[in-house]
Amino acid sequence: MRRPRGSGGLWLGALILAMLVLPQIVSNDFAIDIFIRVLLFAFIGVAWNLIGGYARQLSLGHAAYFGLGAYTSTILQIRFGVSPWIGMPAGGIVAMLASLPIGSLCFRLRGPYFAIATIATAQVLMLLFLKFRDFAWGAEGTTIPDLGNAPLMMQFEAKSAYYYIALALLAIGLAITAWIERSWIGYYLVAVGEDEDAAEAVGVNALRIKRNIYLVSAFLTALAGTFYVQYIYFIDPNTAFSFNISVEAALVSIVGGIGTLWGPVLGTVLLEATSALLQSWLGGSHGGVQLTVYGLILIAVILWRPAGLLGVLTDVYRRLLRAGATPAKAAPIDG
Amino acid sequence: MLTAVAQAIVNGLLIGGIYSLVSIGVTLIFGVVKIVNFAQGEFVMIGMYISFFLATRFGIDPLVSLAVSMPVLFVIGMLLQHFLIRRVLALGDMPQIFLTFALSLLLMNVALLLFTANYRTVETPYSEAAIHLGGITVAVAKLIAFVVAMVLSLVLWVFLHATDLGKAMRAAAQNRDVAMLMGINPDRVFAVAVGVSLALAGAAGSLLMPFYPAYPMVGQVFVLMAFVAVVLGTLGNVTGALIASLMMGVAESLGIQFVGADSGLIVVFAMLLLTLAVRPSGLFGGWTR
Repeated sequence: MRRPRGSGGLWLGALILAMLVLPQIVSNDFAIDIFIRVLLFAFIGVAWNLIGGYARQLSLGHAAYFGLGAYTSTILQIRFGVSPWIGMPAGGIVAMLASLPIGSLCFRLRGPYFAIATIATAQVLMLLFLKFRDFAWGAEGTTIPDLGNAPLMMQFEAKSAYYYIALALLAIGLAITAWIERSWIGYYLVAVGEDEDAAEAVGVNALRIKRNIYLVSAFLTALAGTFYVQYIYFIDPNTAFSFNISVEAALVSIVGGIGTLWGPVLGTVLLEATSALLQSWLGGSHGGVQLTVYGLILIAVILWRPAGLLGVLTDVYRRLLRAGATPAKAAPIDG
Repeated sequence: MLTAVAQAIVNGLLIGGIYSLVSIGVTLIFGVVKIVNFAQGEFVMIGMYISFFLATRFGIDPLVSLAVSMPVLFVIGMLLQHFLIRRVLALGDMPQIFLTFALSLLLMNVALLLFTANYRTVETPYSEAAIHLGGITVAVAKLIAFVVAMVLSLVLWVFLHATDLGKAMRAAAQNRDVAMLMGINPDRVFAVAVGVSLALAGAAGSLLMPFYPAYPMVGQVFVLMAFVAVVLGTLGNVTGALIASLMMGVAESLGIQFVGADSGLIVVFAMLLLTLAVRPSGLFGGWTR
């Protein structure tokens, strides 16, 4: 995780500035919509990456927390008139509470057992919300009442407002990850991820560290759920607990590089850019093309670069630096 | 009431036979190659489309087209092992799960592109036929599917216990390194295991066709069931998967009958989570992961 500090700060500053002015330059709604999707899914990927990437617990059930966040804020808003700004962290807390029993059940399992159990928990929640007809609108779902421009209720006329919320969420997710990566927790997590038994043997309480990071991951994922519902003005169990959410969360991290700060971001940019290009190129009528391409990209990445594409980028970057520093000699290539 | 229970149990057992073909496939690949195949359901889907096209283009009965779908999927399985799975064997859980997962995504969506999302059905003379036994109705197509599924499971059991290749497979499943030291060629054993497992999925597809519609996502229904059955029956345990599949079928059917039409899966998943809470290694455990 060592990298040149000085230039890193500069790049980061430039990136933040660019992201802040982007919606002022691009005013096309279609483009902003894509940016929002990228930011949102990158954020979900970052949240997943804490448990899935650093601790290597392959969760395929993060839709559970996304859905709980979405439903908590929506129920609070429609039934009790509570602003989603309060509903958002409330959803996060509900997700954290739910992650405790789910975690205590699933963390005793490893590898494929863990993955299958997490799928089952998200599916059970979806099936339950399909049954809650009086309390949570059942299978029909509900639309969020359109209040026009109501910033206090997290509703805006300008799309760029949603952009800034998503950007803030991603920034929070990345900041938390960066902090964890540098603290003792990060080292413990990586140790557990690499070899749980060995980590336990040197005194890491694997169960506790997994549970704690799962709390953080669930909380963040729930925030994304609230945001998504506010953005699309609609909720039903099939979108809120969609298996695709669980998949996308893991997918972007795998493609970009699991257990790295920027991996999920890179993965989302690549996948969403591909998907947007395909959409504008083929039109919306070709169901299946986008996911076919996702499948192909994923297989290619796993066979060619199982550690993710971030490694490729940093390799290229280092090689360029080295070539610039010693132009006379060929850069030595190390693996 | 009693007839309703008996009817639900019979329905459950019949569909459980199909689940068992899918879950035996999953558990066989896991036992021998140590990979969870998330794409197993998509091979059921391919089997269904093979039977569908043979039936609509050439008028071949889906039960006859079993003779096509099984060998075709066997070959696909060998190729799958050779070109994809073999290359991630050394990589660990995460890339392995995601490889088969990506394959599932790919196959579903290629099917969507080629065949559209429409439901495809095949009418056979026995599709609507039923036998009545003292108040209980048994659909003939489902009964045939169940019987063939049980016969195929038996053939597999004999293959695993009575042939050299089958014994080699079980040996590789028990301890891969020792099996290799004993002169078993893992590449060949792995390829056959994946081939056989996909052939079973293909058989499930053909058997389903007379009474179940084919569509690109159809595999998801069966693979979820299979996972639950395979976990309950202990990953890698063929007999366990068979028994657990039948149990799953009955549990689902009782759930539909007595909790509500949309509650079959809740009952099944509840069983899974409960089992994992009590016995994380499945009902037929012994093996502790």
